[in-house]
This record gives sequence, C-alpha cells and structure tokens, in this order.
Amino acid sequence: MSFTLNINGNEMEVDAAPETPLLWALRDHLGLTGTKFGCGIAQCGACTVHVDGVATRSCQFPVEAAVGSEITTIEGLDPQGGHVLQKVWTEMNVPQCGYCQSGMVMAVASLLKDIPEPTDADIDLYVDNICRCGTYPRVRAAIHRAAELMKA
Amino acid sequence: MTERIKLSRRGFITAVVGAGGALVMGISRPLMAATAGAEPWETPSDGTAFTPWIKIDTAGKVTVYVTHPDIGNGVITQSCAYVREELECRWEDIRAEYAAPERDHAMGSAYSAVGGALAYFSGRSTSEPRRTAFMTAAAGARERLKAAAAAAWGVDAGEVAVAEGLLSHAASGRSAPFGEFVQAASQVVPEAEPAPKTREQWTFLNKVDPAKIQIPEIVTGKAVYGIDVRLPGMVYAALRQSPVMGGTLVSYDFEAIRNMPGVRAVVEVRPTDPGEPDRIKSPFPMGAAMNGSAIAVIADHYWQARTALDALPVVWDDGPGAKWKTTGMIEEAVMAATRQPGGTVELSVGDVEAEFAMGGTILEAEYMTPYCDQVQMEPLNCTVMVSDSAAEVWTPSQHTQQVFALTVQETGLAPEQVKVHQTYVGGGFGRRVFGDDSRMAVGVAKGYKGVPVHVIWSREESVRQGRYRSIMGASIKAKLGDDGLPVAMRTRISGGPGYFTMGIADTVLPLIVPNVQVESQVVSDIHLKVGPLRGPGYNSTVFFYESIVDEMARAAQEDPLDYRIRLYDRWEDKGWVNILRVLKEKSGWGQPLPAGHARGVSIGNWGMGGRAHHGTTLGAVVHAEVTSHGEIRVHRIDVAFDTGRVMNRDAVRVQLEGGTIFGLNLALNEKLNIENGRIVEGNYDEYPVIRMADTPEIHIHFEALTDHDRYDEIGEPPVGPVGPALANAVFHITGKQMRTQPFREHDLGQGGGV
Repeated sequence: MSFTLNINGNEMEVDAAPETPLLWALRDHLGLTGTKFGCGIAQCGACTVHVDGVATRSCQFPVEAAVGSEITTIEGLDPQGGHVLQKVWTEMNVPQCGYCQSGMVMAVASLLKDIPEPTDADIDLYVDNICRCGTYPRVRAAIHRAAELMKA
Repeated sequence: MTERIKLSRRGFITAVVGAGGALVMGISRPLMAATAGAEPWETPSDGTAFTPWIKIDTAGKVTVYVTHPDIGNGVITQSCAYVREELECRWEDIRAEYAAPERDHAMGSAYSAVGGALAYFSGRSTSEPRRTAFMTAAAGARERLKAAAAAAWGVDAGEVAVAEGLLSHAASGRSAPFGEFVQAASQVVPEAEPAPKTREQWTFLNKVDPAKIQIPEIVTGKAVYGIDVRLPGMVYAALRQSPVMGGTLVSYDFEAIRNMPGVRAVVEVRPTDPGEPDRIKSPFPMGAAMNGSAIAVIADHYWQARTALDALPVVWDDGPGAKWKTTGMIEEAVMAATRQPGGTVELSVGDVEAEFAMGGTILEAEYMTPYCDQVQMEPLNCTVMVSDSAAEVWTPSQHTQQVFALTVQETGLAPEQVKVHQTYVGGGFGRRVFGDDSRMAVGVAKGYKGVPVHVIWSREESVRQGRYRSIMGASIKAKLGDDGLPVAMRTRISGGPGYFTMGIADTVLPLIVPNVQVESQVVSDIHLKVGPLRGPGYNSTVFFYESIVDEMARAAQEDPLDYRIRLYDRWEDKGWVNILRVLKEKSGWGQPLPAGHARGVSIGNWGMGGRAHHGTTLGAVVHAEVTSHGEIRVHRIDVAFDTGRVMNRDAVRVQLEGGTIFGLNLALNEKLNIENGRIVEGNYDEYPVIRMADTPEIHIHFEALTDHDRYDEIGEPPVGPVGPALANAVFHITGKQMRTQPFREHDLGQGGGV
C-alpha cells in the first residue's frame, strides 16, 4: 500500500504493508538511516522520533498510523547540525560509539520543549533510553547545560 | 634519508599503484571532518602520500590512515592527535580514513606489521609501536615540508618555522600554507628520518583534550554504521541460526512464504567444516569464527524478510547441546569441576596443602559468574556482495583485517579479489572481534550472488547467537597468618570451553601469597560459544579474589580498605597502595552513612600479565543502599587508577565513566539462562541494562597516577573492581556475602533499612 507521510516538513511516499513499523519505512524505504534499530520492542529508544512533537519509539509505530502527522527525525532536528543539543553534545564529548545518540538527542529535545529547565528527576523520567557505553552522566550534564544556554 | 627508508617509500608507492592504479585507492569510506562545521570530507585526487599513514593535499588537508575501528573509545581521534602533534597542522584540517585491509595486503603488511595481530584491533591506540609509527611519519612530513620551503625561498631549513599549517621564515617575512609545498616536499630525500618529539616537547598531546572528531556526524544522524549501509540493488536478509548452537537444519518450507510481499529467496548456510585448512593468515584463529547451520530469507526490505522468516516453517536437529536442560545443570557441572584437583596448574609456589594441614584461620568460599552477552546497541549486521570473481564487504567490525581473512576463507577467492569497508561501529565490547558475524553474512551472500546482501540479526538473534562471556566458577581456600594476611591460597577455577584465564594466576593476589596453588579446568562438553567481553576473564576473577579479600579482612577484624593497604603493600608496584590511599581520602571512606547504606572497596589490574608496572590498576569505592524491600541502590562510585600517564584526560575520563557503568551492570543485572540448550533471554526486556535513573554519581580521581612511563588501556579496567566493591558494600549492610552474580537474584530480605 502507498502512504503519504510528512517527514521533516516534506511530503514523502512510502509503499509498504500498513503494519510496517515507521522505523523501517524511514530507514529502508526513505533512506533516513539516522533513526536506529536497537531492539524492535520499544525498550531501548534508539529509534526515537517526534510524532507531532511527541517523542515516539518508531519501531512499534505502524506506518499507517503516521499518516497525517508531522514526523521529525534526527535529520530534521536541524539539518545544519546547529541545534543547541547538537552543539552541546559535541562540546561536552557526550557520545561514545554514538549509535543510541540520535534517539537520545530526540528524547532530550522533546523533554526540553515540555520542561525547559528539567530537574534530575525529570531527566530520569523522560530519558530512559539505553546507552550500553554508559554516557548517562554526560547526557545528564549536557541536558542541564543546554537548558542554561536555551534560557540565556 | 637512508637507503632503507628510500626503498621502503618507493616500495610503498609501487605497491599501491600496482594494486589499485592510483595513490588513493578511494575504496574506504572517508570518516569525517575534524571539527563541527567543516565540510564533509571528499577524497582529493591530488593528495600526496607521506608513508602509508598520512596524505596531504594541495589545500593542506591532512588524511590520517587509521587501522583500528573506533567502537566509541576515541581511537580515531587519538591517531589524529599523534599526527597533529608532529605535523603542526591545524586540527580542523585533519581527516581520518580507515586503512583498508586489502591495502595492507597489497603493501606487504604495511599497517599490520605495526602492532602485529592486534594492529587492526580496535583500541590500543596508545600502544608504543602504533604511536611511534604515526608520529614518525608526521615528523618526516613536517621536515620535508620545511626543506621544500627552504629550498624555494633559498634559506636554511633550520630557519623555517612551522605552526598551525603554516610554514614561515621570520628573517625574510615569507610564509606559505602546507598545500603550496606538498608536491615538492614529497620529492625531498632527507639525510635521516627525524625522531618524534620527546614527551617534554609536546604542545598538543597532554595539553589539549579534543572531543571525538566524529561527534558532529553522530548527532546529525549522518554517521554511517554497518546497519546504515545502502547500496544500489541491495537486498535485505533476515537470519536465523540453529537455536541450539551446534544444531543443524533438517528442513524448511519455502512454499509457505514464497508469495509473501517482497520475498525473493531462502538461503541455507551449512556449518563450516572444522577441518578446513586456512587459506590466508588471520589475526585471530579462523576456528574462532566458523559458521553454524543457518537459514536466511532474502527480500526487498528488511521488514518483509523478517516477517517472512517468522512465518517460515523450519525444523532443526538440536544436536548434543540440547542435553543441557537448565542453567542449573551447567552451573553444577562448572562448580563440581572446581571442587576437585586435577586441573591445569597455572601457578604453584610453596606447599598450600601442608599449610592447610597445620590448621589455623582457614577460609573457604565458592564464587560464580554467569554467561553474559555484550548487548552492544547496534545489532549484528554486515553487507556483502559476492560474485564469481570478487567479494566486497561493508562491516561494523572490531577487527577489519580479521573480516578480510575470513572473507577470503569463506569465498575461496584470492585476497586480491576481496575488499572490506570498515563502517562506524555501534558498540563492540568484544562481540565484533572474531568476525563470525561477517563470515555468516558472506555465507548468506554466497547463496545470492551478484547484488549486495544486507544481513541483519534481530536483537533476539544477536543475543541468542552470541560469543558470550563464559560462565566461570571458583573455589578458593585461604589460610591467614598471625598478622591476618594470607599465608596460603588455593584457587580452582572452571568454565566453558574457550573461557579466558586472564587474572587467575597473573594478577597480584596469587603473586604475594607465600604458598599458592592455582588450577584451572574446562567443562568441555558445554556447547555455548564464547568470546571476549570487555575485560575478559578479569571481569570474573577480580570478583572472586576481591570478594575473598574482604572475607579475609573480616576474619582479621580489620577495616577492609586498611587491610588492603597492608596486603597490597607486599607488591612491588606501589600504584596499588597509592590508589587505595587516594580512595580512602576522596570517597568519604569511614564517614558515617544513613542506616541501610555502606561503602565497599575493591581493586584490580587489567593487562599486567604477572608483571609490576604494567597494565592499568584501578580501585573503586561503591556507596550502596539496600532498601527495606531488599533492593540494591547504588548512590556513588569513586574510581582511582594508575595507567602510568594519560594523554587525553577527558577521553580517559569518559572511558572510565562508561566502564564503571558497564561493570556495575554486569555485576548487578546480567545473566543468560539456558533451557534445553537454548539461550532464554532475547531482548532488553529480559536482559536488563542500567538506564539514566539507575546511574550513580561517578567520581574519577586522577591523583593516583604514578607518572610511570606507560599509557595503558583504559576501557576495560573499571569492569573488574566495581562488582566486588558493591558486593562488599552489601555485606556491610546485610551481613550477606553475595558470591554469585548477578546480584539482583539474591534475596536480601529486609535489607539493612530501618
């Protein structure tokens, strides 16, 4: 079946079975490989994208449900890499292998939109993505730093 | 330049031209620009090679050829830092490119001669030979540039200064960027190759802590990991291997899925003949990566392939591994082996049995650590195109050269017909070292020739078809002398085939006890395959030894940290005692804590191999709580370490943070269970991994560095001591010594809470 999706502000056509996870539509059909496959069961968060501004795990989100919504992927967060999180992540040497970090950044972007100055408890609640390299202390510090910069 | 060097440089150019027709083979995917905002790297056609390690183009852009895949440890950045130090170019002008193994082969091991079998093994960027190779090449290029400028300006080369990619002559006021002289510089034949700077002369290493240069690519989603490879005509394969390792395929029914959307074919992979001779020399033994029985569905898209695979009727013959009905059966077999003599003697000093026969304070304890998986975030995958005359592989490997050798082995093609592209790696932790994942993909692609086949293991397939940290058991008996320190210790250790013995006989504890016996046994009929997992061997043996050391301290009625200072002062490398003293001062040791809280301490060394002043020694103090529900919470971990010296402080800190969390998770959460020979756990819902909310405060202390002349490994060291330090803390709260991992399985009852 053919579906029209709004991704990063562009209309895109996907020809796939309706239950195909949005993750695989993005990666295989549209070539947007920044969104990662980690577990397939919405546990790890590597596949996090924004659906109408809400952080969503795309591996459990059927492509047919995405029709009519605005989807933002890591490629659309700021194509020039100029988003405050992208800058802070670089300055603070946050990623290690980096595989989980697209999803991590998308989860954090959603958090900061809802709660511009999050507490540690807010961070614990919102950002439950898995990072096997153990970047959590740096992610936490980078979130606080980004919140400061956004406030200024 | 000496005759030898002249020859080797010409040899290099000839070899490369012979193999690829051009200086730049253009086959490896460029990695990245060095800093945010720089343009994406494009291989220039006019680059000039200065040894196999460096190329400089006329715009002054420098390409560094890196052999070791970056698995998140920053090895690419460190390689570039070596070049920056000597070349005096601008940091933002440096790019890295993976040194393709076919290039290595064509050039007569130009890359893998440095560092031997581990030359292409991710990490170890700080090893002396590798560092020297980069720095010598960069120094040679710098001096050639200076000489070329001096000749053009008619001045003495000694008067030409170089800084930030600019050559200058103060007296005449002349200056020019590198690019202007690269062609001329490549023709310069110096009297002798310059020696790299001494440490005291460094202006970049140890002074600047650059962040990993690939981060801008990562945070914009542009970094291409193995799973992101997209090639014209590419098809996708979903893979299933025999659910019991060593089992074989009996039958499958392609007709049942033939008409499902996108389905193209089913490919069967047969087990590798164990007697197959090696076709080419490989860094790790070929036998470490033999294909088992497997089946793959090939389709236009991955989701189609996976859906069809789930629907495909398959019958397996489980083979002998199915006899292991439960995890408990394996645990019993391993522990039974540790309860009897007769193993391989790893170390024997004095007479332990005579000491035990004389009586006194004797402790006996049994410990065990389970099978664990690396669960790296990027599921296993590899893309392969095979034809009758060539094979090309795109792999997120930890050892590109191993993949090259295995591709030759699996296809039967000549080495000259094989190309391997190294991609970014979504975590390794040892899982991607042996190359079995890539070899399996080659096996699948051999059955579907002519187009690139992108083979993806599901998460469940990745976990259930691992190369695991083996189960290990230990029975330890120790006798304390009148001073409370051990006078005799007997360690009997056991595990599944291939388990790592690092840290059993070649670490400090067995070396400072006057009478010691260390024996190892293998339970040879366990069918589960094993491999390295961050700090192999060490991540179990530190738990065994440092748990019993706490039990010794208790028997001696002494503070466990003070006891360790007294015990490890017997060792000639005072780094151990330094670390303990730093921890005592920095961690708040001895200061009061709320009820239900306590601190535990532990120390170990990764890489010493029985020698003083080798490897990295690391100690940890863990501040933990056991709640009234018996739940363990970790509040703070202090880490002090001695790796001799450090070059990039922040890179070291980040690895120690990550390794600490990794070690904590291993001890607290991780275990694979076995049922009828199959691995039970398949995904993160069954195999828990620490998340943000569970992460304690981590304090890394640099004060214990001894400044000994070495830069040792840093990724593995925390993984040993964190677990036993936590177990020791929990004992101080609950009175229960947890002698098996993972700790979450222990019933701590009411805990120590009020």
